Amino acid sequence: MAAKHINSNNNVPVYEYTDINTKPFHVGAFLSLWKETLTPSDYSFQDTPEEKEDAEFAEEMGVPSETVDELKAICSPHTLKSHPEDENLDKDVVPENPSLQTLRLRKKRQDYKETLLRDVTCRQDFYANELEILAMGKRPEDPEDLVPEGELILSVNILYPVIFERFKNVRPHQTFQVLGSQKLTQLRDAVCCVSDLQVSGEFSNTPDMAPEFISKDHYKSAFFYFEGVFYNDLRYPECRDLSQTILEWAKTHEFPTFHTAKMEDTTFNKLTIRIGYPYLYCHQGDCEHVVIFTDIRLSHRDDCLDQTLFPLLTHKHRVITRKCAVCHLYISRWITTNDQLAPMDPCLFCDVCFRMLHYDSQGNKIGDFLAYPYVDAGAFN
Amino acid sequence: MDYYIPPLKADCEDLLNQFQKTESVRYEEFAAIWRKMNFSSIFYGKMAGNEMRTFSRLILTIAYQYFLPPHTFQIRAGGLYLLYGLYHSQLASPKEKIRLALKDWEHVQKFQTDAVNAQHYDVVYILRRLFSEKAFYFAAMPKHLSFQVKRKPTRHTVCEEFWDRSTRVKDLVTSDTLEEIMNVHEHYEKVKAAISATPGQPDPAIHLINKDLGARLQSTVMRFHKWQEETERRRNGYEDAGDTDAGEGTSKQSECSSRAQLLASIKSKSYGQVVEASRSRRHRQAEMDTSASEPNPATRCKRPISLRERTRKKLMSQGSAKQEDLESTTQWRLSMTEQDKLGERRREKKSFKW
Ligand SMILES: [Zn+2]
Ligand SMILES: [Zn+2]
Repeated sequence: MAAKHINSNNNVPVYEYTDINTKPFHVGAFLSLWKETLTPSDYSFQDTPEEKEDAEFAEEMGVPSETVDELKAICSPHTLKSHPEDENLDKDVVPENPSLQTLRLRKKRQDYKETLLRDVTCRQDFYANELEILAMGKRPEDPEDLVPEGELILSVNILYPVIFERFKNVRPHQTFQVLGSQKLTQLRDAVCCVSDLQVSGEFSNTPDMAPEFISKDHYKSAFFYFEGVFYNDLRYPECRDLSQTILEWAKTHEFPTFHTAKMEDTTFNKLTIRIGYPYLYCHQGDCEHVVIFTDIRLSHRDDCLDQTLFPLLTHKHRVITRKCAVCHLYISRWITTNDQLAPMDPCLFCDVCFRMLHYDSQGNKIGDFLAYPYVDAGAFN
Repeated sequence: MDYYIPPLKADCEDLLNQFQKTESVRYEEFAAIWRKMNFSSIFYGKMAGNEMRTFSRLILTIAYQYFLPPHTFQIRAGGLYLLYGLYHSQLASPKEKIRLALKDWEHVQKFQTDAVNAQHYDVVYILRRLFSEKAFYFAAMPKHLSFQVKRKPTRHTVCEEFWDRSTRVKDLVTSDTLEEIMNVHEHYEKVKAAISATPGQPDPAIHLINKDLGARLQSTVMRFHKWQEETERRRNGYEDAGDTDAGEGTSKQSECSSRAQLLASIKSKSYGQVVEASRSRRHRQAEMDTSASEPNPATRCKRPISLRERTRKKLMSQGSAKQEDLESTTQWRLSMTEQDKLGERRREKKSFKW
């Protein structure tokens, strides 16, 4: 319990701007501060037997065990029930004439909803919930893969790049949970972005060739930027230091010096960051994602405890997909221009309709047009 | 979800206010009020998918604030019971956890020590029980942060009555503010001297504030500090003496009522001192005083009506503006056909306003 002077330590996260972001602190140091103040049983995944707890309480407080039993009865959660246990209560219904203001607000909304012809539950919420619930309390098959007690779990929001017009006003994002001991590259590999799937080139003469060239395999460079440091992905020989240009530009413009480090050598525990503060993830040369650490905490026994499932995707924004101009059913895979057969220019097609319309049964091109592979923003839904 | 914040706060404060009136920190008293208010029902009513979880998270974050300073010990005990009650009544499974921030740990630790020393067994038992049930997340901050910069930031107001007054003067007059006051005062004297008829000598007609304001304020605050510490020591001495002769009896003999009296005395004293120190603030202090004796706290915790709303009301009552003038005019055209108006109304009806 060395908590006395804890708040004079720089690695205790405090607000820089209330409710917005914290001051910078070292993640690993923050972890050791919690571990110094707590006893291992506080964050253990196991329960301490109740008898042991009670005996400890009696001893520390200097009271007989009868007093503890009495306390237990007085403080039991049953004392919170206004209705007898056996009374069957529909908890989906707000009680009549509620005195609580919160309930009056909810009732107002419920009454309003009943006036609607159909109740459209936001699909966004529905699926977000599903992802979160799926992983809760999961245990690994191999006990070796169990998340250790006292491991840090960081929540990271990766925002979609503002390359699409419709992302301008909302902030759609994916949320991942990563472990403090994981490397930055593990998060990078988990992030899915359509620009990694982009195929460049015109393929109207050889449509079967297209899917072989995915950008992710071609352009492997990427970096994270946190607190003045560029963390470059240099795992492969063809990786380039994307931050170089920025560093040089900054030098000539009298910016404070930035530093570089290797993404593959850095674990989250080694980072210095602010919670709530916008940082950057850049890949494919210019696909930029804002990255925000929204939370850091010790792992809990109700968390997903299978290490192999981390980075764990806990939230994903679902994007409205653009459908094929012919069937209005399937997600578009091709985009054509200068297309005599198309109702507009450019025009989107699914793979089946595209081939049916533009090639004869022998696979020969009909008419004049240019065709480019198209990856929809909602391809990951 | 933010639309739930004001009613949730009001409900929590209503409960804690009733608890405060009992002048006790006993869990039994708290539970009785909880049952009477049917507080568990705060989770009732249909909520879509994720909503239930987000709501649990929100209400726990709100209740958590009452468990921390600057609230009085009694309110903090109430805050702890509130967390305990909410944690157990929530309908989410697995339960949402209470987020404990590292920066607040020191306060929790101190609270526990105080409760142990005063032999408030129920307070200590419930806190320990929450720990052993693994009801806490040991987190960096009390909530998730995602750089939600708002044009109009929500102000954090602490309900006056719940405030632990002993720290107020300390919070108000820090060394920084003292320096600031001295600087401002120095500047003020200089400006007065500059505009005076006799150069270098301020006009005696505008001699409204003591020349050594900074020094006086400092010594007054120091004196208050000493007095406060002494009373604190005396109170602790009294407690220790009480503790030795009876075991469980003392915890029943309500320590907090004596504490409440003490706080009341600090309250009156501190007002007296500050009023003497700065005349310019007298009217504000007077306001505080009357508000503290006002019986209904719910009305006071409410925000005053905005300027815009007041202007609107005034215009309406004077009849200089008709209702329809105030209805929103669409920007791209200044007139509206009858049909559109009907349509507009219909649309208004459809979307739910929180
Ligand atoms: Zn991208
Ligand atoms: Zn199609």
